[in-house]
Amino acid sequence: MEKILEVNDLKISFHTFSGEVQAIRGVSFDLNKGETLAIVGESGSGKSVTTKSIMRLLPEQSSEFKSGEILFKGKDLTKLNDKQMQKIRGKDISMIFQDPMTSLNPTMTVGKQIMEPIIKHQKLSKSEAREKAVKLLDLVGIPNPEIRFKQYPHQFSGGMRQRVVIAIALACNPQILIADEPTTALDVTIQAQILELMKSLQKKVETSIIFITHDLGVVANVADRVAVMYGGKIIEVGTVDEIFYNPKHPYTWGLISSMPDLETEEEDELFAIPGTPPNLLNPPKGDAFAPRNQYAMKIDLEKEPPMFKVSDTHYAATWLLHPDAPKVEPPAAVQKRMKMYQEQHK
Amino acid sequence: MEMKKKLLEIKNLKQYFNVGKPNEVKAVDGLTFDIYEGETLGLVGESGCGKSTTGRTIIRLYDATDGQVLFDGEDVHGKKSKAEMKKFNREMQMIFQDPYASLNPRMKVADVIAEGIDIHGLAKTKEERTKMVHDLLETVGLNKEHANRYPHEFSGGQRQRIGIARALAVKPSFVIADEPISALDVSIQAQVVNLMKKLQREKGLTYLFIAHDLSMVKYISDRIGVMYFGKMVELAPAEELYKNPMHPYTKSLLSAIPLPDPVYERNRKRQTYDPSSHNYREGDQVELREITAGHFVLCSEKEYEELKKQ
Repeated sequence: MEKILEVNDLKISFHTFSGEVQAIRGVSFDLNKGETLAIVGESGSGKSVTTKSIMRLLPEQSSEFKSGEILFKGKDLTKLNDKQMQKIRGKDISMIFQDPMTSLNPTMTVGKQIMEPIIKHQKLSKSEAREKAVKLLDLVGIPNPEIRFKQYPHQFSGGMRQRVVIAIALACNPQILIADEPTTALDVTIQAQILELMKSLQKKVETSIIFITHDLGVVANVADRVAVMYGGKIIEVGTVDEIFYNPKHPYTWGLISSMPDLETEEEDELFAIPGTPPNLLNPPKGDAFAPRNQYAMKIDLEKEPPMFKVSDTHYAATWLLHPDAPKVEPPAAVQKRMKMYQEQHK
Repeated sequence: MEMKKKLLEIKNLKQYFNVGKPNEVKAVDGLTFDIYEGETLGLVGESGCGKSTTGRTIIRLYDATDGQVLFDGEDVHGKKSKAEMKKFNREMQMIFQDPYASLNPRMKVADVIAEGIDIHGLAKTKEERTKMVHDLLETVGLNKEHANRYPHEFSGGQRQRIGIARALAVKPSFVIADEPISALDVSIQAQVVNLMKKLQREKGLTYLFIAHDLSMVKYISDRIGVMYFGKMVELAPAEELYKNPMHPYTKSLLSAIPLPDPVYERNRKRQTYDPSSHNYREGDQVELREITAGHFVLCSEKEYEELKKQ
């Protein structure tokens, strides 16, 4: 498979009044052509900062790029100047934001906003761009595109607005599409439509998608591979089946079992990960998850675990995978769910 | 179930906005249902279907356009003296969706929680008031050092706990929770839901749980009502609703939920709901009818006969 994006040992900090917040503490991952990589994790785990740094959208005054490289087809994006970056942003890599209510300009017609990247990047004339914009509106499933083209964002519902945002993002057939919680603000039925739309468009234009979400149901639906983030690091990565059916990191166990599915009995208490996420102002020594981890060992508090290999595609950063570590069983809720999956899939 | 006492009876409740103007909105359009003592009734539906308005009208944040809300046999709406209103306010409390917006940023947590205690004169001395606040904080899993801090010093999950403590301060019997976990992280959602269940067991609370996260609603609710455009389209025990949905809208809603199971997701087929598929003719009585014991569906006479057969 062809690698289209390679992120190596990315470290980013923010300078705040209370000190340096180490938001990203060494993140590495690859993105293959045509695949969907889901990044999951709690708020503050660094999912959005990672993707915004790929787009170079972090505020320059307060954020500091500490180290690492972001290779897009072999070109290091971190070394580009603003002008060069502008040529890539919106053309080769584009982004869908979480909130369709605020990511459109309320004073511009929807059509104009879609035409903007087309005119800028593809150097088409106004009338050609217009034609293309109408086609895009049609493509993302907006009825009466000719009329809708002339309307303002406030005349659209939430789901329709998100379609417009997707149309803008797809205007120049990007090779990478970054979707930052694109369906979180939407209802389940609309969410299902948007996800179906993204998948069908991906097939048509062969885009690679980075999909950020904290909804594991959505992950199971869209992802080919999954990266789990915690405390500014990727702590487990694998194919979607490996993460859901054979998770190895205690945090992933916690995430999976804290969500009830439709089979969870009412008498069972939900497994709640105790405590709160780490404060990245003073990241803990050792494994950042150790204070909330019931399986934590002495070494977890002293030394950060490296990525242990589970299979060719599956890696997890937990000392439990060290050959010398004691064998532990996942929590009962996880085991129960794994068993249920096995039975259902027979 | 039949033996249980009805705590709340909602009869033909209507809440219209902009009445008489061209942009009249029938947010809640003739709801009738009961809530039994000690149960959790879940209310689900898409945004704009009127589920939050229902909650807010029940607790009289809005004055109902028409219909009745009987709490323990007494009407909540209609002309009421201040003392009578106070009595209801003690019995009914609300937990709001946004833990960032629902706490006054200029009040200390102790005062936020004790506001109800002060209004209703539940504490005779200052020491008693402090003790009550500390007890409440402990009940919701915070500790008494938190009492003298301001809301901004807390995380979302902790703030929601403060919101719950505030609702419990006046010892209500009925709590309306309007999307109490939607704004929280997955791992924190489980903490808050477990807390709400624990409090219900210990204090015998009755909940109206409004949400759009269907798997969480199923987990916490005894019965679930599905709303669509201001109307209740289906009301059934939680298990029954998921195993045997009857109204086409409920079916489409259930088929849209993504589950954390990749193999299931690859095979999931989504159904869409078309309101015109009913082909109601003029004069058809479309109302909530009981198909099997405790399972109500909004349907016409003809549909009722068909559903009965199945």
